[in-house]
Amino acid sequence: MNLLIIILLITSLLLTRVALLKTAVNIILIQSFMVALACGIEGMEAGELHMYIAAILTAIIKVGIIPYALLNMVEKLQYEKEDHPILTVDASSIVACIAIVLAYGLIDQALPGADSRDALATAVAMTLIGLLLIMTRRQAIMQIVGLITMENGIYLVGLSVTKGLPLIIEMGIFFDVLVAVVVLVILTRRLKLSGMSTDISRLKKLKG
Amino acid sequence: MRELLLLALFIPILTGLISMFLVKTVSIKIVNLSGSILTCFVLSSIIYRIGVQGAFCSDMLYVDDLSAVLLSVVAVLTVTSMFFSISYMEKELLDGHITFKMLRRYYGLLNLFIFTMISVLIVENLGLMWVSVEATTLASALLVAFYFNHSALEAAWKYVMVCTVGICLALLGTILLYYAQVNVVGTGVQALSWLELKGIGYQLDPAITKLAFIFILIGYGTKAGLAPMHTWLPDAHSQAPSPVSGLLSGALLSCAIYVIIRNLIVVQQILNGEFLQYLLISFGVFSIGIALPFILVQHDIKRLLAYSSMEHMGIVILGIGLFTPLAIYGALLHIINHAIAKSALFYLAGVITQEYKTKSIMRIKGLISTMPLIGTLFMMAILAITGTPPFNIFISKFTIIWAFFNEGRFILGAGVLLLLAGIFAGMMYYCLAILFSRKPKHKVFSRNVGKPALVSLILSTSLLVVLGLFIPSWLNHILHKAVRIVMGG
Repeated sequence: MNLLIIILLITSLLLTRVALLKTAVNIILIQSFMVALACGIEGMEAGELHMYIAAILTAIIKVGIIPYALLNMVEKLQYEKEDHPILTVDASSIVACIAIVLAYGLIDQALPGADSRDALATAVAMTLIGLLLIMTRRQAIMQIVGLITMENGIYLVGLSVTKGLPLIIEMGIFFDVLVAVVVLVILTRRLKLSGMSTDISRLKKLKG
Repeated sequence: MRELLLLALFIPILTGLISMFLVKTVSIKIVNLSGSILTCFVLSSIIYRIGVQGAFCSDMLYVDDLSAVLLSVVAVLTVTSMFFSISYMEKELLDGHITFKMLRRYYGLLNLFIFTMISVLIVENLGLMWVSVEATTLASALLVAFYFNHSALEAAWKYVMVCTVGICLALLGTILLYYAQVNVVGTGVQALSWLELKGIGYQLDPAITKLAFIFILIGYGTKAGLAPMHTWLPDAHSQAPSPVSGLLSGALLSCAIYVIIRNLIVVQQILNGEFLQYLLISFGVFSIGIALPFILVQHDIKRLLAYSSMEHMGIVILGIGLFTPLAIYGALLHIINHAIAKSALFYLAGVITQEYKTKSIMRIKGLISTMPLIGTLFMMAILAITGTPPFNIFISKFTIIWAFFNEGRFILGAGVLLLLAGIFAGMMYYCLAILFSRKPKHKVFSRNVGKPALVSLILSTSLLVVLGLFIPSWLNHILHKAVRIVMGG
């Protein structure tokens, strides 16, 4: 479990440093795989069937379908990459480190004595790093990656505080995540099709 | 009752699916009109049954008088938006803005959107409620992006990103609430069940519940367009096709408020009332305050209406935040009134922009002489939305402000009144500019507005007047019972 947590933290930190869209999608693939694994391990410890199902669903949706759709999209965006993020790469790495410290502080404040302190703090840190990516990256794909990191983080919070939600709700959440990414990919594709860059920061017609 | 609820979910889905496969415009029209009337009929009978039998619960479905209030909003708006869509989209098709394929997609998505909103209102479980709210975002996102041009894509991107991030925070809050529940009763089948949470509300851990509610309020508040999480709202409302803007503003924002109220009912049992009051009232005042300057200097007619929606959601949250029976009564009534008035306004704006081919207020001139009927209805709706008697919004706004003065919150009440006066001035200024300025030099082709659209517009405006003059006793009854539910009874 500790190894998983370390890998999850490393993937989140790496995400703040990449410029190539393809690398980012591959990292998110590894990250989602770790989340699925964590879910499976928790299931093994608790001996609950529904956790296995959740783990398999995570694997299918977040390791299979979503990265596949994103990689497909990235293939078509040959000239796009995250050149000049709003916050430079080094600065965002530092902010991400601060986020990790903050997450530990927050957990100790809000839920003192929780038995899975490290997992919880990692989860909160991932949520914050995801938010950071969404706010400071220009490329559409990078923002989607940020969103998935955030979802992974929140999913991990659920996993570590309550051993996951009831299955029917979890299935709803998986479905929603899937559809959200599909909708975002459709929008990205349309941006590309209408001859525009997928640089979101250039979309600033609507004001006031 | 269970069959009725399932039917209410089933009809929109079926209508949407059928419309996706039809090959003629006429058949799409007939299917969607009858679908919307059927949905409205089923929803009305659900509301009637709630009035007679009281709350109903079965497995995952639950309806009570609070849902009935919101269901009435969805029932009315389903019919008006569908009737208006028929004419609006026909004209878009004629003008060559859309293709037949897009028309089918439009009706498919619109019905899906209505389905997701109904499901928000009739599920019992707070987790499933979250799933449905997120589903409303996704169904409506493709409607916002419907024209797939530069600004529509920008609006849709902002909409999905801001709302999904917001809603993720709401999920975090919901998980924390579940954690609080598990600490009391352990993991059971009743996870996140609203009825159970309501029953054990006073046993929850206050610290965790407080954290949970803050996340929930921020999350669903994003969806309800409360400042400062409102940034998606004006863009999405102005770029969506007009019937969709009406639904977004009238029904979707209200559904988000509904979810906040459901969570509030649980947490108010254990949390300090003053803390909740400060939290909600400051969100409310802030939303009204932020909307004011944007209303005063606005160039786009649909954005003007969008900012006004923000203001009205602020007023509703103010009423709920005050948490006295009178204020909650006013807030619930305000949800209904605002939905009817604002959807009518968006439809009217749709007619106007189609004729003038612009959304810029500066270029829409002499409406009363180019289109006398539409002009008159527009004036009535603007007078209604700014809270002028004898229209319905006056009653609910007055009730909420009255509740403030009743509680001795004079400064707050007076401050809100001052902001509302500013908004009144702004809205009236633009309304008069649109209506009575000199006719434009270039000719505006004022074709006749389609019959279905006229039906929907006249239905909405007559409701504005009728609800302003008296509140039917059944509605009053349901509202009073809903107030009792919100107060925790």
